[in-house]
Amino acid sequence: MKNRFFLIIATVFAAAIITSCAKVPQEALDAASAALEQAKTVQTDVYFPVEFAALNDSLAVMLQNIETEKSKSAKDFKAIKTSADAIAAKAAELAGGVEAKKAEVKAEAETMMTDVTALVDEANALILKAPKGKGGAAALAEIKDELGVIEASLAETQAQFAEEGVNYMAVVDKLKAAKEGLSGLIEELKEAITKAGIKL
Amino acid sequence: MKKRPLLGIFFYLAVAAAVIYLAVLLFRAMVPEAPQLQVERARAAIAAARDREAEVYSPRSFREARNSYDSAMAAWRRENERFILLRDYNQVISYSATAEKMAGEALRSTIARSGDLKASLGTEISRMKKEMASFEKFFMSVPLPEDVKKKHAKGKLLLREAEVDLQNERFINGHIRITEAKEYITGAYNLARNKLEAYFSGYHDWQEWATSTIEESRRKKSYAIIVEKIPPLCHLYQGGKKKYTFEAEFGRNWMGDKMSSGDLATPEGKYMVTKKLSGRSTKYHKALMINYPNKLDIQEFNERIRTGQLPPHARIGDMIEIHGEGGKGAHWTEGCVALRNADMDLLFKYASNGTPVTIIGSSLTLEEFYATR
Repeated sequence: MKNRFFLIIATVFAAAIITSCAKVPQEALDAASAALEQAKTVQTDVYFPVEFAALNDSLAVMLQNIETEKSKSAKDFKAIKTSADAIAAKAAELAGGVEAKKAEVKAEAETMMTDVTALVDEANALILKAPKGKGGAAALAEIKDELGVIEASLAETQAQFAEEGVNYMAVVDKLKAAKEGLSGLIEELKEAITKAGIKL
Repeated sequence: MKKRPLLGIFFYLAVAAAVIYLAVLLFRAMVPEAPQLQVERARAAIAAARDREAEVYSPRSFREARNSYDSAMAAWRRENERFILLRDYNQVISYSATAEKMAGEALRSTIARSGDLKASLGTEISRMKKEMASFEKFFMSVPLPEDVKKKHAKGKLLLREAEVDLQNERFINGHIRITEAKEYITGAYNLARNKLEAYFSGYHDWQEWATSTIEESRRKKSYAIIVEKIPPLCHLYQGGKKKYTFEAEFGRNWMGDKMSSGDLATPEGKYMVTKKLSGRSTKYHKALMINYPNKLDIQEFNERIRTGQLPPHARIGDMIEIHGEGGKGAHWTEGCVALRNADMDLLFKYASNGTPVTIIGSSLTLEEFYATR
């Protein structure tokens, strides 16, 4: 009789011990961290900054949840494993999308580069037409200086295209400023040409 | 008799279950509560600060928040390694509270700082635009070294990049660019202003030359020519009174006196017409040759060679004229004074050999020059 009683008690404690000794899914956790690191090396943080920050948040929450589970007497890491797998999958998905996004921004930068190059040509053509009379030559010299600087900046930007790990977002910003500058110069030139009664 | 053992078993089982239940309850009550809420609040505060770029705007507070959070997590992990009933999460809670507080501070100062940076960037951009406008208004025609003009243009481009940063709310980047732009724009501005101020130090001499030339014209009831570089004009006087004024163009390095041959500067001083050239004898429509270099110019040139201001092989310039083919809108000659052909015709008509030609920097004082712009 007494043997049966102790058998029951031992079974209950064994069950409790087994439950409390559930293990942290270290492999899944390492895989999630590695996936995030890998995503960063391919510039996911540059091209998908919001999504990358959200993934980092998910990782931080998951690490908190691990400790929460560890703090309990009855631990359960099933949900942790699920979220670790989800983080790894999402990080891989984002990293996979970087090339496409990069290509998209690169295409935007290239289009902008073409636009800016066309504007440079337009400005150079207008310079030839611009009046050189009273005050005109001095103003033209100033415009030429400015155009020269923009062209140099453009050449610099073009060289950046060939560099590895170039941030195309920054390239687009640089081109945007150059485009605005050129538009201003072209407007100035057109105004002077129209005022002088020269056909555009 | 047969029912007694069964009852006994049930009794023992019930007692055992109650004991186990109470033991579990007691055990649970003795397990310290996990600091999940506090840690989560700290993490959320850090994430909120990060989303507002606190890492950039309030790096110190943000770093402290991150460090405290990492310490909280490390302390939590450490406590979880201990026997469940012996765990103490007070340190975790304390670190979490610090992390939350610092993240809050970082967020608040980020909001304030980004607001300040936005405002100051806007102010700086406006200020630099004004300075650029002043530069263009006062100094566009000042002959500055090529690299200074290029720097000014570079500053202009950087200013535009700072404007793009302002539009995209990247205030720190914008400040970096505006600082760089300021260096270029203000550098060019100061250089041009200093050059102009140094140039105007000759004002008293200019005034004396011009006054004596006009006085001579009045006394002799004769013609006299006064050329001034700022504004670029050529005046014809008759009997001490101004008869005509023409726009003039000079050598590319017009600011300052002529030092030597090939320096593209137009001389300053008191001269006179020595020869009138027209037809095939000049390629510039008509020309009035002047007696440059005069005795004083030769003396000054020799002094410059002696003191090493000029290299020993330097030659003094000559063949300085007032000639036609002007009206190009720029200073383009090699040191001569160029007028439009129609103006040259008129001047040529009245001038003769011996007509005084005085070339000065300006009839305006520096203050008057700024005021007229």
